[in-house]
Amino acid sequence: MDLKINADDLNSCVQCGLCLPHCPTYRVTGDEALSPRGRIRLMREVQDHGAPITNEVRDAFDTCVQCRGCEPACPSGVPYGRLIESTRESLVAVGELSARPQRLAFGVLARPRLLRFGSTLLAVVVRLRLAPKRLGLPRDLPFRRTKHSASGDDVFLFTGCVMDAWQRDVHHAGQRVIEAAGFGVTPTADIAPCCGALHTHAGLGADARGRAEATIAALSIGGDRRPIVVDSAGCGAAMKEYGHLLGTAEAAAFAERVVDIQEWLADHLDRLPEVKPLDICVAIQDPCHLRHVQRAHAATRVALAPFVHRLIELDDDGLCCGAGGAYSVFHPEISGDVRARKVDAIDQVSPDLVASANPGCSMHLAAAGVETAHPMELIDRALRGEG
Amino acid sequence: MTTWWRRPSRPADPLIADLHDALAPDRVRNDGAERSLTSHDASVFDGGVSGPVCFPTTTGEVQAIMRIAERHDRAVVPRGAGTGLAGGAIPLGAPIVVCTGKMNNVVQIDLENRIAWVEPGVINLDLSKQLRPKGFHFAPDPSSQQVCTLGGNVANNSGGPHCLAYGVTDAHVLAIEVVLPDGQVAMLGGLEDEPDGLDLRGAFVGSEGTLGIATKIAVRLTPNPPAVRTMLLSFSSVRDAAQTVSDVIASGVVPAALEVMDQPMVTAIERYVGAGYPTDAAAVLLAEVEGLDAGVDIDVAHIDQIGRANNATEIRLAGSDEERAALWKGRKTAFGAVAQIAPDYYLHDTVVPRAKLADVLEQIYEIVDRHEVLVLNVFHAGDGNLHPLLVFDAREEGTLERVHAAGAEILRASLEAGGVLSGEHGIGVEKQQYMEELFGQADLDHQNRLRQAFDPACRANPGKVLPAGHSCADIQALRDVPTGVWG
Repeated sequence: MDLKINADDLNSCVQCGLCLPHCPTYRVTGDEALSPRGRIRLMREVQDHGAPITNEVRDAFDTCVQCRGCEPACPSGVPYGRLIESTRESLVAVGELSARPQRLAFGVLARPRLLRFGSTLLAVVVRLRLAPKRLGLPRDLPFRRTKHSASGDDVFLFTGCVMDAWQRDVHHAGQRVIEAAGFGVTPTADIAPCCGALHTHAGLGADARGRAEATIAALSIGGDRRPIVVDSAGCGAAMKEYGHLLGTAEAAAFAERVVDIQEWLADHLDRLPEVKPLDICVAIQDPCHLRHVQRAHAATRVALAPFVHRLIELDDDGLCCGAGGAYSVFHPEISGDVRARKVDAIDQVSPDLVASANPGCSMHLAAAGVETAHPMELIDRALRGEG
Repeated sequence: MTTWWRRPSRPADPLIADLHDALAPDRVRNDGAERSLTSHDASVFDGGVSGPVCFPTTTGEVQAIMRIAERHDRAVVPRGAGTGLAGGAIPLGAPIVVCTGKMNNVVQIDLENRIAWVEPGVINLDLSKQLRPKGFHFAPDPSSQQVCTLGGNVANNSGGPHCLAYGVTDAHVLAIEVVLPDGQVAMLGGLEDEPDGLDLRGAFVGSEGTLGIATKIAVRLTPNPPAVRTMLLSFSSVRDAAQTVSDVIASGVVPAALEVMDQPMVTAIERYVGAGYPTDAAAVLLAEVEGLDAGVDIDVAHIDQIGRANNATEIRLAGSDEERAALWKGRKTAFGAVAQIAPDYYLHDTVVPRAKLADVLEQIYEIVDRHEVLVLNVFHAGDGNLHPLLVFDAREEGTLERVHAAGAEILRASLEAGGVLSGEHGIGVEKQQYMEELFGQADLDHQNRLRQAFDPACRANPGKVLPAGHSCADIQALRDVPTGVWG
């Protein structure tokens, strides 16, 4: 069947295999079918040679975390993200890949009030220990959230969906840090409730494009050109790719405005006061969509270094932690194996804390007992004199 | 949601059922998708047909697979990361494919004796990374070292840029635990400096899976050098670069690596990584020297002088570790970077005497011009190991034929210059037919008899290395499964 993959994109893979060790599912299974090279060959078999979609083929595509760690490793520049997104969208469209649970679950993301109500309910369920453990839900889901308030109109702070309901404190910390640099912040809150990243990953292309169009419209009123600062690596990566997703000049122009909060801060570091750093050694876990897609992970180090005692690198070439948005919920087994590698790498350097700039990663790691924090929370603490 | 790791009922096919019993159902795959994937490696060879695919975790399981293969009269082909370029891991006649990916433990590191015991699925670079903080590394560093496995390195006797000074895999393997084709386990070689008896370890290294499957390997650990200097020399002709290489070796300097890239290659690499190579030079020589601080500076001065004498247009010394890393990143990603030019490539691996390098290169340029094929050259110049990359688009009619014709002429030109077929990639299926041009019948007969001594029933990776007419070379007798069968 036609997977609607661009023929030149598909043909750009020379099967050299240099991607294999950078693929988390290949690393934990040693199985070619669960590697980027294997998946690309299966795409070719299906699209070019009419191979049927068997369970194994479906599993190969379904188990991809979409971390895109293979992309920087590829000497031929294969746009793997585009290949797997087309594949999944095509398979979902003809019912070969189910996205029904995702569609159901993600339907709530663009309805902020419903999402917050559901999250509060969930917080109760988790406290009563009624939620299945394999979901890896955080124990400290908040019952209530402090309201967002704008402090000026220099930049937008994109607050998103699940993160806003579950980790709003991170947004508040990020906002305080930007304000400390002398900028007024408008949190996007309910005006742009969801960027559509999770929809893209699930192969729900139409929904994703709908979310993208709504987000662009909401943040471009009256020709608004303000930078859109994003503190979730997954959302930032998705929004930076709107140009490709929608294929319009407007979307491409919007994508240009999107900047990761670490990236933004690295450029404005001189405007922050000098403070005593927190007396902790922090290991940096690079979210895949910050490192492999946005390729902005160097900024995390620049931004965080002045505010903590010491930064420690993990010796695992930035391999995925297995969170993958909602991946850990739908593939708990393989996701747990991938996480075990990350936890090993963390244990080897025994840090006081792990900094992760993506809500999914930090929750996934926290569920394995790793103490995590968003870089902005640490910087905020240092700025508030906790050092 | 259906997942392949859920336990299915006992399969009807008795071979699969036996394999399930011996391993575990989730480590035996017989579906069309998996078989189609293991029918390929990184080479252009397209005629593989894979049987069931097994993922053993222990020597005992590999033994069980061998015995089951014997019972069901099937061949067995080992597979590491599938990065081979000569088709050595490509299954012919639907054999059982043994993937070593799950046998990936570093069993023991003995720093005192500078030995590590590793399983065959350990990735080459993973081992060196694990050793680095302890002050050691595993010296052979194939360009695919970030992905290729040590089992594959042993099978192909792999080399790499730094093997000029340190020697190829054979020099770094002390002992190998092997499952023989009849299912017995044998220990070849030993940890003593001079093990007794015939050097069967030496016979096994480079045997491309035709003598059995390595399940544990004792490798030698090499201390990290105290000082390293990396230089980049540019030339306005390939001949000047080749002459510099010859002169450096003749002067008595033994660099850790001497790598040459020609202009089309440099252009492709620059477009990909931006390593800072000069794209206007006809050839670029990457030279690295290792040793004590004072020593490497003297070596650098020597090479500098020889380069100038051979009309080097520019000589650069990497000033920092970052610069060094960038220079090497360019070299190590060369093969993938060619996809910037065309979607397919066919890579050769001949070795010629160093003094003939320039002559053979000129012949290569002439051959590809005649066949209207594009060539990019990147090679281990210090060893005389050429790697002409013929790049093409297989979708264009008649191209593959022209590429093969040009490839054959390049092989012959190398042999005529006194060279050999393969420096490090192996013979596999790719260069089998040329074996008779390199070896006489008596030679081949002896190789055949050695192979038969290990594998009288021709069960270990048949159809490889030895040319047709020798036992274990004909695959007609082997089972054939129609291609494109999924399920």
